[in-house]
Amino acid sequence: MPEAIEIQLKKGALELCVLALLHQQDNYAYEIAARLADAIGMGEGTIYPLMRRLQMDGLVETYLVESPAGPPRKYYKLSEAGRASFISQQAAWGSFSGAVNDILGGAK
Amino acid sequence: MTRQAFIARLREGLRGLPPQAVTDIVADYDTHFADGAAAGRTEAEVADALGDPGRLARELRAESTLSRWREERSPSSAAAAVFAVLGLGAIDILILLPILMGVGGALFGLAVAVIAVFFAGGVVFAAGPFMDPPGGVSAALLAGIGLMAGAASGGAILSLASIGLINALVWYGRLHYRLLKPALES
Repeated sequence: MPEAIEIQLKKGALELCVLALLHQQDNYAYEIAARLADAIGMGEGTIYPLMRRLQMDGLVETYLVESPAGPPRKYYKLSEAGRASFISQQAAWGSFSGAVNDILGGAK
Repeated sequence: MTRQAFIARLREGLRGLPPQAVTDIVADYDTHFADGAAAGRTEAEVADALGDPGRLARELRAESTLSRWREERSPSSAAAAVFAVLGLGAIDILILLPILMGVGGALFGLAVAVIAVFFAGGVVFAAGPFMDPPGGVSAALLAGIGLMAGAASGGAILSLASIGLINALVWYGRLHYRLLKPALES
């Protein structure tokens, strides 16, 4: 089931990618969705359930910024717990993907 | 799909959630359409990229009921959490339902037994001393208290087991749901 593996991989990577984007700078949902949809080919709509979950788990916080046109915009930023989670997930991803790549390289 | 149709189907799927949560969620997607329009995309393009509103609503609803279950351990929040997880389609309901019914039935039976033992203890405690019991009045009193205490601790263990079981189900469901699937297939 190649597509099942792909789904699980992308699902696992999605949260890490969101945390990584927010680690670089605070951002709003449309921008995050647009960047991730292009990069890893996921439905843009899935960003919202994920953001709500991250918020509920205390990994991200929101604040409003007045926008020149239209209503104030909701920005997301990493909380302290979110920063810690990102750093540990980043390390775990690095060692895991490195190990997998080594094995895949050896299989050629 | 137009913006209006998308929002209407989303609202439809979110029915039953607290109004504040629905307002927040709808505002998020409304903003997304506005941002999309500002970036020069049509409503249909934005709706396509967002994915199926019914499915999104199911996941948002599941997140919301699961947080209620985490905050408040009650039979109704437990039932809501179980149904929300089943609604995600992560767990094959045909396989799970017989197991769930068996386990649920066993827990219910144990609960009834615990309540029955508790009342039996009460009867032994209240009526035993007048029945000329073997071992005397104090033996009957102590036996009654013992039965009631045993039933109470049995009940406590039973509720802990039920909470653990539901948590395991919720954890498994969240781990395996396939929300990304339609987005990847399209």
